Amino acid sequence: MQVFKLCLKILKKNIPSMLIYVSVFLSISIIMTFATANQMDEMSIFTQAKSNIAFISEEDSPLVDGLKRELSKIANFVEIPDKTEALQDALYFREVTYILRVPRGFTRGFMKGEDVQLEKTIVPDSYSDIYVDLAIDKYFNTARLYMQQMEEISQEDLVRRLEQNLSEGTGVELKATARTLGEYDYLNYYFNYFPYALLYILILGMSVLMLVFNNRDLKMRNACSPLSPNSFNTQFVIAVLLFAFVSWLVMTAFCFILDFKNSMSMNTVYFTLNSLAFTIAGACMSFLIGNLAKSRGAIYAASNVVTLGFSFISGVFVPQELLGSSVLKIASFTPTYWYVRANNKIAKLTQFDFVHMWHIYYDMLVQVCFALVFFVLAMVIAKRKRAEP
Amino acid sequence: MLSRKIGRWSGRMFTHIYIYRLKCILRDRETVFWTLVFPLILAVFFNMAFSNLNKSTETFKAINIAVIDDEQYQADHNFKTVLNEVSQGENRLFNLTVATSRDEADKLLDESLIDGYIVVETRLKLVVKESGISQSIIKSFLDNYVQTASAVKSILSGVVLPAGLPDKLLEPGKLPGKSPDTDELPDKSPGTLAGSLAGDEGDVSFASPGNPANYTNPGGSASWQKLLDSLRDRRVYVRDVPGTRAEPDNMLNYFYTLIAMACFYGSFFGMREIMDIQADLSTLAARINTAPVHKLKAFIYSMSASLTVHVAEMLILIAFLRFIIGVDFGPKTGLVILTTIVGSIAGTTFGAFISAAVKVSENFKVGILIGASMIGSFLAGMMYQNMKYIVSQKAPLLSFLNPINLLTDAFYCLYYYDSYSRYAVNICILLFFIIAFCLGIYLMIRRRKYASI
Repeated sequence: MQVFKLCLKILKKNIPSMLIYVSVFLSISIIMTFATANQMDEMSIFTQAKSNIAFISEEDSPLVDGLKRELSKIANFVEIPDKTEALQDALYFREVTYILRVPRGFTRGFMKGEDVQLEKTIVPDSYSDIYVDLAIDKYFNTARLYMQQMEEISQEDLVRRLEQNLSEGTGVELKATARTLGEYDYLNYYFNYFPYALLYILILGMSVLMLVFNNRDLKMRNACSPLSPNSFNTQFVIAVLLFAFVSWLVMTAFCFILDFKNSMSMNTVYFTLNSLAFTIAGACMSFLIGNLAKSRGAIYAASNVVTLGFSFISGVFVPQELLGSSVLKIASFTPTYWYVRANNKIAKLTQFDFVHMWHIYYDMLVQVCFALVFFVLAMVIAKRKRAEP
Repeated sequence: MLSRKIGRWSGRMFTHIYIYRLKCILRDRETVFWTLVFPLILAVFFNMAFSNLNKSTETFKAINIAVIDDEQYQADHNFKTVLNEVSQGENRLFNLTVATSRDEADKLLDESLIDGYIVVETRLKLVVKESGISQSIIKSFLDNYVQTASAVKSILSGVVLPAGLPDKLLEPGKLPGKSPDTDELPDKSPGTLAGSLAGDEGDVSFASPGNPANYTNPGGSASWQKLLDSLRDRRVYVRDVPGTRAEPDNMLNYFYTLIAMACFYGSFFGMREIMDIQADLSTLAARINTAPVHKLKAFIYSMSASLTVHVAEMLILIAFLRFIIGVDFGPKTGLVILTTIVGSIAGTTFGAFISAAVKVSENFKVGILIGASMIGSFLAGMMYQNMKYIVSQKAPLLSFLNPINLLTDAFYCLYYYDSYSRYAVNICILLFFIIAFCLGIYLMIRRRKYASI
């Protein structure tokens, strides 16, 4: 077991430098987990969605005040200085999604029955565009209805009647789903971020090992030892798997610290099981990259591209349901895709019989198959490399 | 005579150093990877991950709804007509499924095939399983229908009606006339819903059963006719006034920060130039210092080789983004290229400046450069785009001190604004940075002599 021991020795020596990466990645994962998970709040009653809008009025009248009160049901007003650049910036970065301007003379024109219009600057074709437009047009069309029927109606009376009418609404029933929403959101996000951190650490560890073993002199010395290449490789792989297992252990341990309350459930058991399947695939992949790359720099480059690439296209950074279907097709050639897919399913699990579970077993099996393919490829490449003079 | 000879000699020296330096740089595969290939790959990933983001979360798509097809629904011709009309055409509001029973609708809802379903009872009811913008739009649509009915009721209470009419009218959901919603929705947003709906609906609804024609008897009062006219005549009260020529496509910012980051990865070239000219940093530099060439001249010559390579790389990146990924830079192509060149110079001189100023090992210098460009990119919004806006609101000074943000903002201004003032400010501050870096480099590397190394 010399090779195995040597590998562990090398890895042990590099623990401090790797710890820096582990802590950086863990903190990124945790920050991102909290940042994303907080966006989903639990809801037990129906709440009307609110768009952020900038409301700029160049005049002051009961009618406009009434409009503002009506809009406050469906919009949050964001105060933004009335300057073109400030407004445009706010729109670009979605501080507001709708800028509404009441031009001077609007109320007077409207009360006279003229064809007057408000001005909007919007994110084209967006939900909030349609949503806010609905409310504004409803308000003024109803107002006009009154004005045309009751010619003597005063502005105050009009606004009062409008408010009365518009306070009526449709009843909305919020159907209770079987599971309280968001119970496993934290764990789901944490485990979705897991591949990013884990792959990085695995490949980093691999680069450390390869740096030593690929040293020309050492390589030649090893080649003439009475140790069969098979035994050599097996020991090496076992060491890599052990390293992967320890990394996995450290990182899953964090999930218990993060969300202890939920960590004693069956869902968590499957989360960890799934992450273990991914860890095996990740370890084999790092072994493959280690065999392919010639220098430490190359491993570092490959690790960045692979880790970031997989994370971007398979739903680690951007949720899978927001990715295009063609992107997901490409992503299905990576183990990360299957891992994230299984995670999202596990988060929704309420029943643990085979009918509900087999999708998840299938996804895990695919990851293990990836591990096998990576391993076999790595072995073939290692063999070819040895054949080279 | 002599001066011309010297001139020719230094010209030859320039070509000599420049060409050999170019060869050196291009053979350093690793640096070429990080400064050219890596940003290209990242751009592809950005495109794959973000191209669908706004489309799936922000851009309006017809909302999937269902309605329970029971007696009450069949009996309510008005509502049926209205609902069918907003569910037709290319710019429709809803994709309508008619469910035969509540169980069927529940199943559709559970499987998230619809966002909600409508039950026609004495009052209209909406059933959903979560709160969201789609659900709110369905509710707004239904509210609209109910509220206009309420307004009509309130008005009618003050006018004389033909006999027998009020009962029918006052029953909710039996609003006379094509409900306001039908007319109103199509006109809603000119860009989205207009089109087919607004165009063809005109008279259709008035031929439909249950429309006011059935109710208005010959003896109907003038006010009743007037009310009908008003109900028929729905207007649009908002008009689109685009702020600038360009659409506020916020995904572009990711690509702009990517270019800015790539420009500052040019700092690796700058660092290398210092490593190869300061005799105490590398053996190569020690050799170069013994050559009878003015040190500053040698540095400028080789620096221009670095700049050439990096500017070329950045132009490749821009071309790739523009023509392959399809990133919109706005119409001012010349200024975009100028900005890229300024950014490239800023990045390279930044690397040289840090390398000359900080006396640490090469690895540590690389760490500083990567760290600085990562923090800069983060604050300019590469990982989370709203970061740029947050910084500009909460700490405006920081956004002017962060060269990566200045560069990102310059691209953003070229794309988004019609005026040049903010662009000019960005470029001026960047030029100021470049001058400061160059001055710093000059002061640090000039006349450095070594008694022994």
